[in-house]
Amino acid sequence: MIKITELQKYYRTEEVETIALNKLSIDVKEGEFVAIMGPSGCGKSTLLNILGLLDDPDGGSYLFNGIEVADFNERKRADLRKHNIGFVFQSFNLIDELTVFENVELPLIYTGVPASERVARVEKVLDKMQIMHRRNHYPQQLSGGQQQRVAVARAVVNNPKLILADEPTGNLDSSNGNEVMELLTDLNEQGTTIIMVTHSEHDARYSHRIIRLLDGQTVMENIMI
Amino acid sequence: MIKNYFKIALRNISRNLSYTFLNIFGLTLGVASCLTIFLIVRNELNYDNSSSKANRTYRVTLNALDFNSNISLAVLPALRNDFPELEHSTQVFYQPDATMQVGQNRFREINLVLGDNQLTQVFEYKWLAGDEKTALSQPNSVVLTSTIAKKYFGNTDPMGQVIKFGDQATKVTGVIQDPPTNTSLPLNLIISMNTFFKQPSTEFWNISGGSYAYVVIPEHYSIKQLQSRMPAFIKKNWGADIAKDARLLMQPLRDVHFDQRYINNIVTPTSKDTYYALIGVALLIIITACINFINLATARAIKRAKEVGVRKVLGANRGQLIGQFMGEITILVLTSVILGVAVCALFLAKAGTWMNITISAGQLLQPEVLGWIAAITVSVILFAGLYPAFVQSGFQPADSFKNKVSASKGGLSLRKALVVAQFSISQIMIVGTLIVAHQMDFFENQDLGFNKDAVISVRMPVKEKREVFEQHLATMPGVKSYCVSSGSPSYNNSWAPFSAPALGFPKDNVTELKFIDEKYTDMFGMTMLAGQKITRKAPTDSTNKVVVNETLMHDLGVQDPQKFIGQLINVSGQQATVIGVVKDFQSESKHKKIRACVLQYNVDRFRSASIQLQPENMPATIAAIGKQWSQLFPDDVFKYEFIDEHIAAMYKQEQKVFTAFQLFSYIAILIGCLGLYGLISFAASQRTKEVGIRKILGASVQSIIGLFTREFVLLIAVAFLIAAPLGYYMMHKWLQNFAYHITIGPAIFFIAIASSLVIAALTTAHQAVKAALANPVKSLRSE
Repeated sequence: MIKITELQKYYRTEEVETIALNKLSIDVKEGEFVAIMGPSGCGKSTLLNILGLLDDPDGGSYLFNGIEVADFNERKRADLRKHNIGFVFQSFNLIDELTVFENVELPLIYTGVPASERVARVEKVLDKMQIMHRRNHYPQQLSGGQQQRVAVARAVVNNPKLILADEPTGNLDSSNGNEVMELLTDLNEQGTTIIMVTHSEHDARYSHRIIRLLDGQTVMENIMI
Repeated sequence: MIKNYFKIALRNISRNLSYTFLNIFGLTLGVASCLTIFLIVRNELNYDNSSSKANRTYRVTLNALDFNSNISLAVLPALRNDFPELEHSTQVFYQPDATMQVGQNRFREINLVLGDNQLTQVFEYKWLAGDEKTALSQPNSVVLTSTIAKKYFGNTDPMGQVIKFGDQATKVTGVIQDPPTNTSLPLNLIISMNTFFKQPSTEFWNISGGSYAYVVIPEHYSIKQLQSRMPAFIKKNWGADIAKDARLLMQPLRDVHFDQRYINNIVTPTSKDTYYALIGVALLIIITACINFINLATARAIKRAKEVGVRKVLGANRGQLIGQFMGEITILVLTSVILGVAVCALFLAKAGTWMNITISAGQLLQPEVLGWIAAITVSVILFAGLYPAFVQSGFQPADSFKNKVSASKGGLSLRKALVVAQFSISQIMIVGTLIVAHQMDFFENQDLGFNKDAVISVRMPVKEKREVFEQHLATMPGVKSYCVSSGSPSYNNSWAPFSAPALGFPKDNVTELKFIDEKYTDMFGMTMLAGQKITRKAPTDSTNKVVVNETLMHDLGVQDPQKFIGQLINVSGQQATVIGVVKDFQSESKHKKIRACVLQYNVDRFRSASIQLQPENMPATIAAIGKQWSQLFPDDVFKYEFIDEHIAAMYKQEQKVFTAFQLFSYIAILIGCLGLYGLISFAASQRTKEVGIRKILGASVQSIIGLFTREFVLLIAVAFLIAAPLGYYMMHKWLQNFAYHITIGPAIFFIAIASSLVIAALTTAHQAVKAALANPVKSLRSE
C-alpha cells in the first residue's frame, strides 16, 4: 500500500541544517498495523506527516497504492487525504467550537456526503465508539479518553484505507490508553491499515511490526508474533 | 457546508466576545461616521440641485468693480424682451428678516422673498394649495411654506387669510412644501413682487441689495452663445459706456454655493475642497476600522492555526477555508453595518444641533444610499477579510500542530505597518483638528480692529423715533455706552464707487460705506491713525466730511496717514474731504482681504443701535431695552443680536467643518485605540510564558511594562514622520482659503505626537500592568 524509497527531509535555519529523514525506505502492506518508535527527534512525526501528505519530502519517492504522490500539489493531496487517510493525534485536535457530532461529521462534509447520509454514518460510528450519549457535548466537556474516542470516530467515519496515529495514547491514562489501542486493533482487524508513532513499548505490542528509527534512518525492524 | 461555516462563525463570535466587541464596535462607528459624512457631503454638494432644470438654470450676476450677486431690477425685463427663447426667468428681492402680523400676533420672520409666478417654476417648489401660475400675479399676494402656514394658522385653512407685512395687508394665495435646506435662496414666505415694485426700473446701476435674477435656458441651448451676446445686450439697452465698464455673467446655479468670488450672497459660499477633505476623513475612518479587523484577525490567526490544520487534515482545501473565514467576516461586517446605519440615524438626528445641517434619516433608505451601504459592506468585507483569510488558510497542517505559525514574520511586519498607518491617520486628524481649532479661534478672537464684547445690535424701524430711543439708552444703568449707525463694524451691506482724480485715480474703485454717528469709533474702540473722528453734523451743514480706513488710503497710493488728511475724494459721485484715517478693521469675514471703507455721518441712514452692556446683569438690561423698544415701536418685534455671535455666524461653514473634524477625529482615534487595545491584549496573552520567565529571572514591573510599550513608542515615532509632513501639507492648503490665517507652528506637531503617546500609553497601560503583575508561577504552569 505504501512504499517509500530513500525519502529525505531537511529542516533548515539560517545557520543549521538538520536531517530529519535520511534516505529512509519503508514498505507497508495493506491491512498491516505498523508501529514506529524511536527517541525524540529521530524523525517519527516527520515521517508520519509525509505519509499523511501533510508535509513535502525533500527527496526520494512515495508511492501510495502504486501512485507517486511526493510531488502532488495541495489540492491533489487534500483530495487523496480526505478519501483515504484518517488521523489520530496525541492531543486529539478536536475543534473546540464544534460538538462531538459536528466534529465527526466534518470529514463527511468535506467529501460531499449528503446531509441525510451523514447523520446515519456519524451516529453509527459514535455508537460503535460508545460515545453516542455525548453527541451534543463540546470537546472541553469530555474526558481525555472520550476526546480520543471522538478523534478515532472522526478518523474512521470516512472509512479510510489508512489510519495514521501519532502517539494516540500519549495524553491518556493506562485504562483509556488501552481502550484506544483496542479500538485501533479492531479497526485493523476489519481491514484498515494502521501506522502508529509511539514511545510506548506496551502500545507497540498491539502492532504487527515495529520499525525503530534513529537520526532519520531505520535501525531495526521487529516482527511481532 | 455554508451552514457549517455560519455555525462555526457564530460560535466563534460568541466565544470571543471581547474580540467580537472590539471589531463590531469599531466598525459600527466607522460605518456610521462614513455614512454620516457621505450624507453631509451629498447634501452640501447637491446645493441648488432640487429642480429638474438645475443644470440649465443660471444666476445673472454683475461683474464691474467686483463680482456682485445683486443686479438692477432693470436687467430682467430687458432680458425677457431681448431673449424670448429663455424657458423661464425670474427676479427676486430678498429680505433677511421682517415682522409679520397675523391677527393680533406678531412674528419676526427670516428669509422673506418678493417674487413673481416664474420663481416657483424656476425652482420647482411643490404646491400644496393655490395655483402656481397665478398665485403671485396680483399685488398683496403671499405664498407660505407649509411650516409657516402651520405656525400662523395651525389646522385652519390658510388660503385667503390676511397677513400684514409692514403697512401692507397681504392675502394668502398659495402654500408650498418647505424648500430643501440646501438652497442658496432660502425662503419662508413669498410676497408678490408687484406689491412693492409697481413700475419697472430702467437704471442699470440702481442696484438694490437683495435683488437676484435667474434664467432657465432651453435644452440644447448654448450658454456660451448667450454669454457672448451680453455686451451687445448691455450696449443696446444702456449704452456703450456701461457696456465698457460692466459685464453680466451667467453663473450656473449649481456653482452659486461654491463660488467664493461673489459678494452679497444670501448663504455664504463654501469651498468644495472642504467636502472632499471630509470624504478623505470618512475613508480614513473606515480604513482605520478595517485595519483593526486585519490586525486582530491576523493576530488571532495563531490561535486558530490548529483548527486550520485539523480542517486541512480532514480534507478541506484552501478555497473552502477562505470561504469559511470570509463567511465569518461577512457576519461581523453585516452586523456592524446594520448597527452602523442605526448609529448614523442617531448622528443625523444630532447633526442639526452639532453642525447646523438638516438631513432626514429617511435618506438612508434611498436607493442611492442603499447602494453606498452595499458598496461599503462589500469593500470592507474584501479589504478587511481577504488578507486574513489568505493568511489563515495558508497555514500548513504540520506547522500548525507544531505551533510553528507564531513565528510568521511577514504577518508581524504587516501588523506593525498597519499600526503605523493607524497612528499616522490619528496624528493627521489631531493636527487637522488643532489647526482648524486655532483658525476658528483666530476668526473670532484675534484683533478685529474694534471691540465686539458685550455689544448688542438692535434695529430701529422708525427713524423719527431714533433720538427718543437714544435718550432712553443714555439713562439706563446697565448700558455702558451706545451709538447709532447703518450697522456695526461687522455688518457690511453698502457699497459705493470712489475715485480720487486729485491723487491721480480718476477711475472708480469700490468702497464699503458706513454711516456712523460721533460716538461710533469710541464705542467700538477703533484706533484713529490721524486726523479727527466723525462729528455730529447739523441738517443744514452741506459739507461732506469722511473718515477712511488705511486700505482706502493705500489704494490711493498714500502711506502716511497724516498726509492723507484734507485730501479730496469722490464717493458715490460726491466730493468729500478726508478728516481722519482709522486703523483697518475687519468688516467682512477673514476669508477676504480688508477692503476700502468710508465712514460718514448721515442721520437718515441710522437704522441700527449698537449698545455696549455693563457686564453685570446683562439679561435684565436687555429686557429693559426690549421694553423701551417695544413701547417705541409697538408694530414691530424686538430682536437683538450680540455682535460676537454675528461674527461667529460668518464662519458657520468653518464651524460646521470644525465640528465635523472634531467629532470624526475623536471617532477615528477611538477606533484606533480599540484596535491597539486588542493587539496589546493579544500580545500580553501570547507572551505570558516569556513574562513569567523574565520575572523569575529578576525583571522589574517597570521593565515588563516597558517591554510592551517600547514597541508602540517606536511605531508612533515612525507614524509621526509620515503624519507630520502630510498633515502640514493638507492643512497648509486648507488655510490658503482664507486671506487671514494662522501660521502652522511646531507646537501643533508636538501636541499631536504627545497626544498620540498619551493615548497609546493609556490604551496599553491596563494590559501591560496586568501582565507585569501576573504571578509567574501561574503563567508558567498554564503554559
